[in-house]
Amino acid sequence: MSSKTRSYKAQKVIERMGRKLNRQIVGSLTACVHCGNCIESCHYVLANPDDPTYAPPFKADKIRTLFKRHYDWTGRVVPWWVKAKSLYTDRELEELKDVVFGKCTNCRRCTINCPMGVDMATFNRMARGLLVSVGVMPEGVAVVSKDQWEIGNQMGVLKEDYIDTLEWLSEELEIEYGPNFVIPIDKQNADMVYSINPREVKYDPRTISDAAMIFGAAGADWTMPSEGWDMTNFGLFSGDDDLGGAVARRLYEKVEELEGGKLVISECGHGYRSTRCEGQNWAQMDINFEMESMVETMLRFIYSEKIKIDKTKNAEPVTFHDSCNYARSCGMTEEPRELLNLLCTDFREMYPNRAENYCCTGGGGAMSMSEYTPQRLKSAKVKADQLRATGAKYVVTTCHNCVDGLTDLIKHYQLDMKVIQLVNLAANALVIEKPAKVAEPVAAENVAVAVSSVDTPAISSDGFLEGRRILIADDEPDFVTFVAAVLEDHGATVIEAYDGDQAMELARKHKPDMMTLDITMPGKSGVEVFELLRSDPELKRIPVCVITGQPELRKLIYERTVLPPEGYVDKPIDEESLLVNIRKILRSKEEAKKE
Amino acid sequence: MIDLSFAKGIMHDAALAIMITVYIIRLVWLMRFKAGRERQAPTGSGKANAVRKNYIYSWGNIAMPWAMESTRTKLLLYMQFAIFHLGVVAAIALLFTIAWGYGDSPLPKSLALLFRASIGAAFIIGVMRIIRRVSSRYIRAISSPDDHFSLWLLTIWFAFAYLAAPNDTMGGTWHLTAFFVMGSFFLVYVPFSKISHYLYYPFTRYYLGKTLGRRGVYPINTISRTAD
Repeated sequence: MSSKTRSYKAQKVIERMGRKLNRQIVGSLTACVHCGNCIESCHYVLANPDDPTYAPPFKADKIRTLFKRHYDWTGRVVPWWVKAKSLYTDRELEELKDVVFGKCTNCRRCTINCPMGVDMATFNRMARGLLVSVGVMPEGVAVVSKDQWEIGNQMGVLKEDYIDTLEWLSEELEIEYGPNFVIPIDKQNADMVYSINPREVKYDPRTISDAAMIFGAAGADWTMPSEGWDMTNFGLFSGDDDLGGAVARRLYEKVEELEGGKLVISECGHGYRSTRCEGQNWAQMDINFEMESMVETMLRFIYSEKIKIDKTKNAEPVTFHDSCNYARSCGMTEEPRELLNLLCTDFREMYPNRAENYCCTGGGGAMSMSEYTPQRLKSAKVKADQLRATGAKYVVTTCHNCVDGLTDLIKHYQLDMKVIQLVNLAANALVIEKPAKVAEPVAAENVAVAVSSVDTPAISSDGFLEGRRILIADDEPDFVTFVAAVLEDHGATVIEAYDGDQAMELARKHKPDMMTLDITMPGKSGVEVFELLRSDPELKRIPVCVITGQPELRKLIYERTVLPPEGYVDKPIDEESLLVNIRKILRSKEEAKKE
Repeated sequence: MIDLSFAKGIMHDAALAIMITVYIIRLVWLMRFKAGRERQAPTGSGKANAVRKNYIYSWGNIAMPWAMESTRTKLLLYMQFAIFHLGVVAAIALLFTIAWGYGDSPLPKSLALLFRASIGAAFIIGVMRIIRRVSSRYIRAISSPDDHFSLWLLTIWFAFAYLAAPNDTMGGTWHLTAFFVMGSFFLVYVPFSKISHYLYYPFTRYYLGKTLGRRGVYPINTISRTAD
């Protein structure tokens, strides 16, 4: 063994590796023959054809060499012969982090293409877990994991916000369709307990109301839990089995407490896999209730004629993207297609598909790791080409991560396509009779539900944002996507920055009419960016709206000697308050100019 | 100079004994790691779950080039793989056929021809693989000295196996001696090198088949052919 000094973290990684090894992982770490068959199965390779460092065996060897050096006999005796290598410095840990988090989405496509059956995704996840155990991880992973540990869901949605959202949606549905459509919360002994992704509460409440419409129309006995409702699990991405077990247990125990008959998991690839498959292993818990995806629930409702569908309402051409976790880790490839054929009139396959489909490129937690965004978007070319070839107007997917990943790449590669989920299509095609308040009976086909946004006068478009250039600086791709979508829908031109340095560069280049600014970002923090903006004679007049999930950091901005920001909004933010604030800031700026 | 009868007698048997012993130790080492437990109920379509013994599919995967995109789309490479491994089996079989069977007697012409055809073809593939290992940027980047050495070892051994196949000593015994000496070295070296992958193959494939079978991923739905 070398006499080189090893850092504390590197020592811990090596020691802990021994505890993580099981027979499957050891088999996978020893069996690779470097035949190269898997190489072209990886979307990173296809998008970077001249760079062998993206090849799955090259990436796997970063972990394998460590295993060989410390746990395999040939590697221990003659390390150079089998390229066995140890880790010594924190810098080497950082480099390993960039491989296991930044160059692999754990999509498992190389696994199913390996003649030896090497399951790279499994030991890549193990390596992530080892690094996380010593605090080496992308900042986004740390933030999301912290939220899931401390607040109970991965987006830090507070209980009161969650309940408020459900009640608001419930009221809307009740007004529109009647009392059968309210969202029951914490109902005991319900047939079905519906769990969701926090992204739905924070950025996409429409999917919750769409699901509620379907449950309501089916006359289902269902409920949503007030706590333990997050079916996502960042433990899958971070490799932290303890987090994975704690999150899964929270959900399982809530279903048991409510004595629910079945846990229904909303459309989310990693959520489904974590809850339905891995969670019981991580939590070491056997459960006594059934679990199914909302995809299966909707199919059941249609086949048992509990809901009526008019597929002509979804007449635009659609294609289907298989989420890696659904298709390659849970074998659910046919149910979504069966449902799609019932819900729309023009379904077109993309190629390859099912278990051989390519990753959306936002999987494995990639959407939360903004430092790897450029390489993620570059690798997304493979998916973009696949989508473009279908000629479809909508890409349907059963995963929220994929929704974000695909939305991002569609924008980047300028595809004329939108992303939608099966629940949205089902709600759009749903045939519901009007509630009793309608005086005269109306034919069902004339009152089919439209999937409209919950427009209010406050957010209706008045053209005020038309032509405005707004820079959004935030390291959360989900948030940027949401804000960009809202502003673009109202005519604004959006410029996106994912870190402080990029924000400064784009502000100088585009001189936007306004800018939203997150406080915690990689590179320059929001506070530094703000101070630089205010100190720059050319940029100091750009109105700034600080939008942050950490209100306690607000004082950092106000403590500065420069002029304070024009607006301040706490996350989570909804469409209405976003627009109200932005208009207010722009109007005051214009009035100030006139004066 | 090593005597031929020693090479195909004591040396060969001792090498075999070492290989078996090391393999047993290796398997004990592997089995000492706990196997992960799956608690989940099966997922996937009914069709997939009906095939409970998916590890058999997984084991047989290698003989089904249509089952994986990586073999389906690179049939030439797949054929190279098949010919090369058949050559390995033939060369090992030749080793034992001579050492434990025919001894000093020549092999029947048809049997010798069969050995020569499969081993000769494997030799050509071996040369092609050596070229690929150094010329492909990807393969070169992932190769270790063991990868190069194992491939050279086998390819040169094929050459001697081809010459040794008739077990004819009329023109001298050097080629037979070289074949047996290299064969013995091969038997001893294998458990410490990448060539031992066939020892792990049943395990990796068994566990992958069990996991992906339970989750309905195996058998892979082959509707997923590419458009072209």
